[in-house]
Amino acid sequence: MTPELTVLGLAILLHMVLLCLYAVRANLEIGRAYTTGPRDTPPERPLGTTTARLQRAVNNSLESLILFAPAALMVGLTHQSTPDTAAVAWAFLAARLLYIPAYALGLAPWRSAIWGLGFLATLFLTLAALF
Amino acid sequence: MMTDELSILALYGLFVCLVLFVQVSGAATQFDMGYLISSRDEKRTLEGMVGRMERALNNSVTALAMFAPPILILALRQHNDGLSLICAQIFLIVRVLYVPSYVFNLVGLRTLLWLVGFACTVGLYLLAL
Repeated sequence: MTPELTVLGLAILLHMVLLCLYAVRANLEIGRAYTTGPRDTPPERPLGTTTARLQRAVNNSLESLILFAPAALMVGLTHQSTPDTAAVAWAFLAARLLYIPAYALGLAPWRSAIWGLGFLATLFLTLAALF
Repeated sequence: MMTDELSILALYGLFVCLVLFVQVSGAATQFDMGYLISSRDEKRTLEGMVGRMERALNNSVTALAMFAPPILILALRQHNDGLSLICAQIFLIVRVLYVPSYVFNLVGLRTLLWLVGFACTVGLYLLAL
């Protein structure tokens, strides 16, 4: 396991923790009858502000993983791991970890800045896989 | 070692990053910067070209999620051959063209490009098996 692959494993676990955090709150707020139902119509009560933020953070986390995973796998599996790519991968994980409280607490412009850091890390890792 | 198919995967990843960047820039022209950096508690919808860009981006992310596994499987099993490379190349070309075809509302062509990209992905899964 190269550091990039370790980070990928940890990033997936982080995503799952975030998903659980959101799901527990959503169940408490809009009720189990709705969440376990077919959800054909929107819930009667909307999600609370923080839970709605967590929902958007889950969607963003998934999108970031879809971009990060191939890059991490390519760098890790093709023996292109360097101290630089390892550092960038850890920066990605740190950014994605900080992104959650930044979103939940509505910290502007920090959420966007943190998102940008994760985006740049992914971009760098993808470039490192190619060159 | 990076196979040609893996290079195409990396190139498509870069392309999705570019689409994401352009989409965010487009959103900045329609919403004010304050809304973009806020926690977006009040939902606003992008309209026109920028809205289409957003949907093209979401579709590109889905396509990347579907495309990456067979390419990685092919590389790990060293199953790559001429056919898998052609599938990957066609995928890249049609997925790049898909974004402008969505943004400029080319009805019919967009669906055709999507379908070819989807068929290439299915073909790659079959080749990976």
